[in-house]
Amino acid sequence: MGIFLEIHELYRYRELLRNLVSRDIKKRYKRSTLGFLWVMLDPLLIMLIFYIIFAGIFGRTVGNYTAYVISGIIMWQLFAQGTKVASLAFINNRSLINKLYLPKSIFPLSVVASSLVHFIFALVPLFAIILFSGTRLSYDLILLPFVVALIFIFSLGISLTVSTLAVFFHDVVYIYDVLLLAWMYLSAIFYPISILPKKFLILMSLNPVYHYISLFRAFLYDNTIPTTEHIIWGTVFALFSFLVGWVVYLKNKDRIIFYL
Amino acid sequence: MNENNIMIRLQDVSVKYRLIRERPKSFQEYVINYLKGKRINARILWALKDISLDVRKGESLGIIGLNGAGKSTLLKVASGVLKPVEGSASINGKIAPLIELGAGFDPELTGRENIYLNASILGFSRKEIDEKYNSIIEFSELKDFINTPLKNYSSGMIARLGFSIATEVNPDILIVDEVLAVGDAYFKKKSRERMLEFRKRGVTILFVSHNMEEVKNLCDRVLWLENGKIKLVGEPKKVTAEYQSTISK
Repeated sequence: MGIFLEIHELYRYRELLRNLVSRDIKKRYKRSTLGFLWVMLDPLLIMLIFYIIFAGIFGRTVGNYTAYVISGIIMWQLFAQGTKVASLAFINNRSLINKLYLPKSIFPLSVVASSLVHFIFALVPLFAIILFSGTRLSYDLILLPFVVALIFIFSLGISLTVSTLAVFFHDVVYIYDVLLLAWMYLSAIFYPISILPKKFLILMSLNPVYHYISLFRAFLYDNTIPTTEHIIWGTVFALFSFLVGWVVYLKNKDRIIFYL
Repeated sequence: MNENNIMIRLQDVSVKYRLIRERPKSFQEYVINYLKGKRINARILWALKDISLDVRKGESLGIIGLNGAGKSTLLKVASGVLKPVEGSASINGKIAPLIELGAGFDPELTGRENIYLNASILGFSRKEIDEKYNSIIEFSELKDFINTPLKNYSSGMIARLGFSIATEVNPDILIVDEVLAVGDAYFKKKSRERMLEFRKRGVTILFVSHNMEEVKNLCDRVLWLENGKIKLVGEPKKVTAEYQSTISK
């Protein structure tokens, strides 16, 4: 089975994975004065924007609006930043792929992994905001790694699919960019789903990211969110995406070099 | 012959490139072409055709041929970068390719960080790199610059670092593609000595070069490629002489 071989190879190259992730983090903020602080400032500033614009509208419908928004943003960014950068994973590393043998999936994987590292640092402002706004944390907090694992697996699947397709059709990169923008508005980051008409609610249940964001909020602070449905759908989507991603990648991995 | 001694085995390997004049770059074009029933306008070029080759442990094989004869493609197949369309390639052991030094370097990172990055690209573990770290720096003679970002290095310095990493990490197979041409005379001499030392130690070497003197000095066997096929393979003196007499015609 191709996937086991690839996973074995990824394990053999684990030092490279580590180096790629740490390079990404070192480089991204190296030229800025505030440096790594931006990892934490970024979600705070986005939250501030959403707060200024939307707090007047949704602030009364949603209790703990600040906690609601910042948890949505941070979860969204874990998914969106990872998969967006990963869409170029093979194209940007063409010189390496062309010259050296590597398990190529290490490139999308490392991008999603570094997005996960960013997420972990972004938890600092998240908890600060939540505590500062007087919201009580939930006892289900220990279940957070489960949601994070789900969104990670989901993101990896999407990344493998998009980055592989992008090698053959570069348009995929731009299409995915636009798709992400629409997807963000559909993911209930800054509005409550109660404002949506009933028929849209079914559509929401087809949005995997919505399930992950809801679960994240539920485990973080909001005990009123029923979690069973989100857990089931979230798991189904994650496994489906993972499977599709590996199939697309493994079927095409030996052809990638001819198209880069 | 002992099967365990074969480091690289190629069996009836063929690689084709589709030289596409108008490859659809977008979905739109793809769909339009499809609807028009237009076949993709491609010319097939066989970069390698029916190559069978065994490279034994400790052997150093020279590969010669004109530009476009398939030398680089052969190296790519032998190092596992490229899966042959037809035939099979099996490779035993760790490979350090010296194809275009510095392909795996990042200009923003320091020399030290690049040593770790580059060696891990070659598939070496952290422990293995830690053990070799000091000797890599020593051989490259870049001790004073090791915490400087690579963007401030000269191209000769980068080549030195690349050569040091690839040769210090103890590969089983070393793939060398015209790298001895970079660096100053001093470093060239140093790296030639190291290649000879590798030969003595029993490292398998694949060596692509246009310099026949170097090929004769370094190789046990020479393979002459022409238009993707093996034209001649055998004793270095004989093959290089044949090759040179053909070129000069």
